[in-house]
Amino acid sequence: MHTSPPIFDSAFLSKLEQLSLLSRKLFRGEHHAERKSRQTGSSLEFADFRNYTSGDDLRAVDWNIYGRLDRLVVKLFEQEQDLQIDFLIDASPSMRWQAPKARSGTSPPSKLDAACRIAASLAYIGLANLDRVNLHWFGDALRADMGLSRGKSQFHKVLDFLRTPPPPEGDTRFTASMRTFAQRLKRRGLVFILSDLLDPAGYQEALDLLRHSQFEIHVIHVLDPGELRPDLSGDLRLIEVETQAALEVTAHDPLLRRYEQEVDRFLEEAAQFCMKRGIGYVRALNSVPFEELVLRVLREGRMLQ
Amino acid sequence: MTFLAPWAAWFLAGIPLIVLLYLLKLKREPVKVSTLIFWQRILQENRRRALFQRLRNLLSLLLQLLIFLLILGALAKPTLGHWISSGSSTVIILDTRARMQALESGAETRFEKARRWARSTARQATAKTPIALITAGASDAVAVPFSSEEKSMNEVLDRLEPGDAEGELKSAVELAHTLLAARRGQHRIILVTDAPQPALSRAYPDLKVLSVGTPQDNAAITRLATRPLLNSVQTSEVLIEIRNFGKAPIRGTLELSLDGRLLDAKPFELGAGERKLDLFPAVPGNALRNSRGWLKAQLDVADALALDNVAYALLPQPHPHRVLLVSKGNWFLEKLLAADPRVAFDLLTPEAFELSMASKFDAVILDQVLPDTFRMGATAGNFFFLKNTPFNQSQPNLERPLITETQSEHPALLLVNLQNITIARATPLKLPEATSDGWTFETPIRAMDHPLLITGTRKTSTGDQRLAALAFDPAESDLPLHIAFPLLMANTVHWLSGEQPVIPLAIRAGQTLALGPEQRLWPEPLTSSQKPLPPPGGPWVKAFFQPHKQGYYLISQPGQKPAWLAVNTFSESESDLRSAAPAEPAAAILPTGFSLKSVADRPLWQGLALAALLLSTLEWWLFHRRRTE
Repeated sequence: MHTSPPIFDSAFLSKLEQLSLLSRKLFRGEHHAERKSRQTGSSLEFADFRNYTSGDDLRAVDWNIYGRLDRLVVKLFEQEQDLQIDFLIDASPSMRWQAPKARSGTSPPSKLDAACRIAASLAYIGLANLDRVNLHWFGDALRADMGLSRGKSQFHKVLDFLRTPPPPEGDTRFTASMRTFAQRLKRRGLVFILSDLLDPAGYQEALDLLRHSQFEIHVIHVLDPGELRPDLSGDLRLIEVETQAALEVTAHDPLLRRYEQEVDRFLEEAAQFCMKRGIGYVRALNSVPFEELVLRVLREGRMLQ
Repeated sequence: MTFLAPWAAWFLAGIPLIVLLYLLKLKREPVKVSTLIFWQRILQENRRRALFQRLRNLLSLLLQLLIFLLILGALAKPTLGHWISSGSSTVIILDTRARMQALESGAETRFEKARRWARSTARQATAKTPIALITAGASDAVAVPFSSEEKSMNEVLDRLEPGDAEGELKSAVELAHTLLAARRGQHRIILVTDAPQPALSRAYPDLKVLSVGTPQDNAAITRLATRPLLNSVQTSEVLIEIRNFGKAPIRGTLELSLDGRLLDAKPFELGAGERKLDLFPAVPGNALRNSRGWLKAQLDVADALALDNVAYALLPQPHPHRVLLVSKGNWFLEKLLAADPRVAFDLLTPEAFELSMASKFDAVILDQVLPDTFRMGATAGNFFFLKNTPFNQSQPNLERPLITETQSEHPALLLVNLQNITIARATPLKLPEATSDGWTFETPIRAMDHPLLITGTRKTSTGDQRLAALAFDPAESDLPLHIAFPLLMANTVHWLSGEQPVIPLAIRAGQTLALGPEQRLWPEPLTSSQKPLPPPGGPWVKAFFQPHKQGYYLISQPGQKPAWLAVNTFSESESDLRSAAPAEPAAAILPTGFSLKSVADRPLWQGLALAALLLSTLEWWLFHRRRTE
């Protein structure tokens, strides 16, 4: 999303406005908003009764109960508060990698582009629901964030942030980045991680760290079909984009089949890991049309309602 | 071990190239990938087998070097040269005489049976046991020198066929011994013929005789001859001899045809072993226009050998020379020319004679006449001058000259005996010097320094021009009273007429014919008068010719009509098939252990090439495994 995404037309945005980001937990908010909280407040949603004490607003007295029981009881309403939603976008070199052009000559957008578009969509939904939204880049470390924003009017700020990813430096350090994030944030809320999870040190420790820090985590696993089913053949020198490490292989069908089995095992492990820990997990192929990805895949992943 | 193609060793210089190619690293295409995590996990297992991989790569190099060396070895054509001396050499003598054409049971000729056996034996030829093939017929020939190549021997065997000539086998056995003399190791001579050869077997104890024939009855024409009748040279009589070489009497018909047309047919009956002479007394030689004179006799019987049931002959076809006698009257000459059946002469007085007439005759005899207009070299025709000659000298006549010198080899003096000839007088002649118009002169008869007979010859565009000059009038000598006179005159007239050396009418197959200097013979026999004559170009034979087939052969000579030559077998030894022995097992001829079919004796290059092929297959499999693991 290094240029203005043309997919955000008004029709799509109006569809996004009808959606909201799901949170299984109730977090303490700072401002009145449209999201339930543990606090009682002034919303229309009934929460409980309590005995009247001096100083209570007489408009909250339930006069029907007073008529039947001759007691002054005050109706308590839920306090609808805002929610902090953080988007952690992996900007490592592996996210910028694009598979060599297939024989058909077409090439999907990079994983980073796909991640930015998804983040923009979700951020718009959050902003529309008056949640506080923040976006962060990470790679070899946690990089600059956008700053908390609230309200649809701040969407241009989101787009501006996504247009300027940090330069690709170093290899992915997932755990270090998440640890920094957990230490830096004092308020807990929803965390969307958009990454390919390709960290040789693993992603598990990082996710556990966030989970223990009481964040509600959603992992959007961004993938490129070219790394799931590589179109390779012959004697090759494979060079990793992050570390520039090289490996010589002779690609042939049996080897590619074993590679695909290895990738499938990795994906299955990631899904199982998230499921066991109550972490939302969705695979987002950059080859899937963006609108379908947002409106269908994320819904099915119970990230949106 | 010796190498037949040692130049292949130069390719050994290619070994460093193979090693260099092996050391060169494979250029791999660089491809950027998002991560190597998965590739490293996959290849982790392969790394465990890295040592084995390196060993396998080394094995590939060794295999490639071995394949290269094997191919070089095959190219160098190694042979077990020093082992050959300890092997055995075999000479097969294949009988190709006429009798080998006799049919055996199964409609197979004796020669075909012999050839079949030779072909099966050729399969056993190896580098250690080479085989040579000799054909024995009218003449012996080495058909295949010592070789272990079955294919080339079979190709020669396919081309071989028996001749129509008789022959003897002893010279072929001697030729086989000559071939074997230079070879070490064991020697074998196998004669494949139709009958046992006890005399040869006694003379050559190492000779093995394989008989492929069985006793057969046969009838044959053993003689066919023609000659003109004395009282009519245009008519010939024909003599035919037939013989029954069987154990039972036969009967049949003897047919005689001329140029393909049946002249006569006579039934005959012959007892066992009997012969019969038959005479056909009046065969018209020149009755037919353009007749070739092909006379063919045929026996209408079915026997083992069809070859001798047919005989060919030629009728003598006289072509009399046209001679003009210019004379005031010469009784001796007139009678002599009239008596010669080969001469048709005309008589003319000197007054009626013109020199332009000479070109219409083969020879002109000028009896004491010399036209004033006659010029040497300017007048066409062949002339015989008597007494008045262009060479006369204005000197007194020679009185009673003695014949002191004769050239008996001159055609004019053939069989002429001039002893005791008395000449009353003769004109002195002067032998001219060699002239610029091409005349060459001889003096076949001389009296001291004086030539009594001068002959001259020169080449012209139309052929030879000849003349003869006799220095005396025969009437002034006693020559007409001697037998030499008709011979001298007839020889001279025929020599003047351009008579060529006589070509025999018929010879036997296998007999060598010496051709004249300008004669050519077409080497393929013609048996049907309907066939066209052979073309002027082609494999014409000059000098000597030995026919191996019966039939008529065309002899061409410039300026003359084509002549024919009849060739026949006419051999009682070839026609008598009763001496054959029952067939004996061919395997018994070959000694035990002769069959060398061991792999080691096959050509080594084939084994080397096969090994190279197998190893290259193994190397390809290793390479494929390496790529797919």
